[in-house]
Amino acid sequence: MMSRSILVLLGIVLAVSGLAGAAAAQSPAALVVQASTEPPGLDLTATPASATAGVVLYNIQECLVKVDRTGKIAPWLAERWNTTDNRNYTFFLKKGVRFHNGRELKAADVKFVFERAMNPETKHPYPRYYEAIGDIIVKDDYTITFSLKTLNANFLLNLARQGSVIYPQEAVDTLKSAPIGTGPFRFQEWVRGDRIVLGKNPDYHVKGLPHLDRVTFRFITDPNAVLAALKAGDIDASLFGLGAEHVQELSKDSRFAIVVGDTTNDVILAMNNARKPFTDVRVRRAVTHAINKPDVLKGAMFGMGKILGTNVDPLNPYYVDMSGAMPYDPGRAKKLLAEAGYPNGFEAVLRVSPQYQYSVRTGEILVDQLRKVGVTVKIEQIEWGQWLSRVWKEADYDLTIIGHAESWDIANYANAKYYFRYDSAKFQELFRKSEVTLDDKARRELYVQMQKMLVEDAPAVWLYMHPRLAVTKKGVQGLWKDLPVSSADLAEVSWAATK
Amino acid sequence: MRRYVARRVVALAATLVFVSMLVFVVVRVLPGDPAALIMGTEGSPEAAARLRDALGLNRPLAVQYLEWLAGALRGDLGRSIQYDLPVGALIVTRLPVTLPLALLAAGFMVVVAVPLGIYAATHHRRGGDYVAMLVSQLGISIPQFWSGLLLILLFSVTLGWVRSGGFDGWSAGIWPALRSLLLPAVALGFFQAAVLVRATRSAVLDVLREDYVRTARAKGLPGRRVVFRHALRNALIPIVTVAGLQLGQLVAGAIVLESVFALPGLGRLALNAIGARDLPVVQGVALFVASCIVVINFAVDLAYGVLDPRIRHEAS
Repeated sequence: MMSRSILVLLGIVLAVSGLAGAAAAQSPAALVVQASTEPPGLDLTATPASATAGVVLYNIQECLVKVDRTGKIAPWLAERWNTTDNRNYTFFLKKGVRFHNGRELKAADVKFVFERAMNPETKHPYPRYYEAIGDIIVKDDYTITFSLKTLNANFLLNLARQGSVIYPQEAVDTLKSAPIGTGPFRFQEWVRGDRIVLGKNPDYHVKGLPHLDRVTFRFITDPNAVLAALKAGDIDASLFGLGAEHVQELSKDSRFAIVVGDTTNDVILAMNNARKPFTDVRVRRAVTHAINKPDVLKGAMFGMGKILGTNVDPLNPYYVDMSGAMPYDPGRAKKLLAEAGYPNGFEAVLRVSPQYQYSVRTGEILVDQLRKVGVTVKIEQIEWGQWLSRVWKEADYDLTIIGHAESWDIANYANAKYYFRYDSAKFQELFRKSEVTLDDKARRELYVQMQKMLVEDAPAVWLYMHPRLAVTKKGVQGLWKDLPVSSADLAEVSWAATK
Repeated sequence: MRRYVARRVVALAATLVFVSMLVFVVVRVLPGDPAALIMGTEGSPEAAARLRDALGLNRPLAVQYLEWLAGALRGDLGRSIQYDLPVGALIVTRLPVTLPLALLAAGFMVVVAVPLGIYAATHHRRGGDYVAMLVSQLGISIPQFWSGLLLILLFSVTLGWVRSGGFDGWSAGIWPALRSLLLPAVALGFFQAAVLVRATRSAVLDVLREDYVRTARAKGLPGRRVVFRHALRNALIPIVTVAGLQLGQLVAGAIVLESVFALPGLGRLALNAIGARDLPVVQGVALFVASCIVVINFAVDLAYGVLDPRIRHEAS
């Protein structure tokens, strides 16, 4: 009897609270976006976390140049630049650009930002991006010259990266908790554990932008909770948080729009090149031939994404389609294994982190495929912190699966200490040349050579490009389709008039 | 009674020191480097090494522990690596979510479980008893995250009565805040209620078989008066023991449900901190929660004294 009255009471409370909720209608110029991970601080000069870039890069803070939605480097806070010798780059700053604290951006700020990034004391996560910079000379308030010690083909790209955002020097102490920049949105509030709120920057230097008055990033980790929040209408978009399996389900629901695009995220099966039997190139090739990539893509990603052949993603201008270079051929795989002294195959452990569900699903398919050529693989799921320590830092692994989201990350194969432990003097020399070759045609040729060499040496198996999977309520428009950079640029996002 | 309280206070302090050591050692032994986690796969190992040094993680473990303990005794639990804020302040900002959530869940647990348990005991081996036990069995069998998702599915997705998750804070109004906490509190309290129903039923059943209850009935007291005046008071000790233990478990259960309902509470703070190896936060939250549980047990011990004169007199 008593429990019945409690249930009735509960029902009344829920109903009353529901009415209160219905009264709080959403503003048409506001967007609530789900974020899977809360940023570990908002200072892009202190953390390489993609969760930070997702909120801050191009929304709150911007760079001298910008990687646009097509992947091209475009003028931004610098309206133009010139160089006659590829060693001295002079940038002309856009006039009238104001930081969120009201002060105008001057060349002295740019000098401060890069000198700080180059100073090892500041613990910038990417000091190597600025190694080539020798001198930074302020010519006047709007003109600044960078003198390079060596040629650097990636210099402009490095200025567009997340670690190169421009901020006012007086706000350096609050970058972590309340960043100030020149972006279309101003930081408003960070309720730890729940949300980050950005408001429109009315003085934005690009006329007519942004369209939204307010953006809220809500942290929801559990994919089922994300699904529920979308269906209940509590969030307007999920930009990174849902897997292929959820997108499949939501694509049947007319209330939602699905955005599927390209990214720079290469999902690979990494092999420890310094550990037997993967020290033998024949074994690595055998593993590659034993994998049926179309089946992997179908099983792990419901066919969404693109099959890869090397570590250059389809958004890279030097991308060559090598997906057919080492085709699925279990007979050849067995032959190679026998030649390498493993006619009955071998046993190996595959370490994956369930934080990235696609890696576990992909692993399960690979186990089955590799078993057919005699390679017995045991999956060991380890937590992300452990993965970083054991696999990435100490290279204590046989096999692992992970997505490498950084753009232009072929550089990793030129680093013998990287967790692949791929040590090829020839490849390192090719890469070094590509870094100092400015001529586009010659550089492309070097990139083609590097890609071919990777296919031959098979230090890893490049499985597929993880697609960009975003789900929004119908009516949200202006999102980037492809993601050539880890950013959720919302400057051009708006609601269609029918909302 | 005073000696009894003094003995309990000494035990409480010893437990907390032991917990602090255990937490510190376990957290440090965990594989995973905070600096590597902050830098991720994209930062350079040199940058991670510099950060590790700056965070003071290269110093001897004993030095780190003593420093932390000294700070904790002064009320300073250190600074979060992830948020760059004092751990104490972070915990305080999370309490307005977790505390009301645990209290609501506890309220739900007691209000549902005790009457249902008494009802089942007084209707022993009759229809009502079986239904109560069935409901209790269901509550024990359904994992909290699952009942949470089912509640979201029904009340948020299908009926649209409440939000599916998130918490705008008490400043947004008492009703909106309560609305955000109601479903997780029910999901959290349901499991605990299921356990408490069984404990209450069995405790009341035991007492109902006592001679003095038979005497009370024989002298013609009405059934309700027998149950509430004579049986329940004597059955309260085991009920309070179980309820006290469950209050501690409510905080642990909040970790899971705060994730399902995306609530910025203490549990989610701890979970994120473990994932990010934000050691000061993990230590701080663990110590805080352990303190709460120890204090709850202390309160339960004191309640024994109040409820049962024999304990009061024995102790003194």
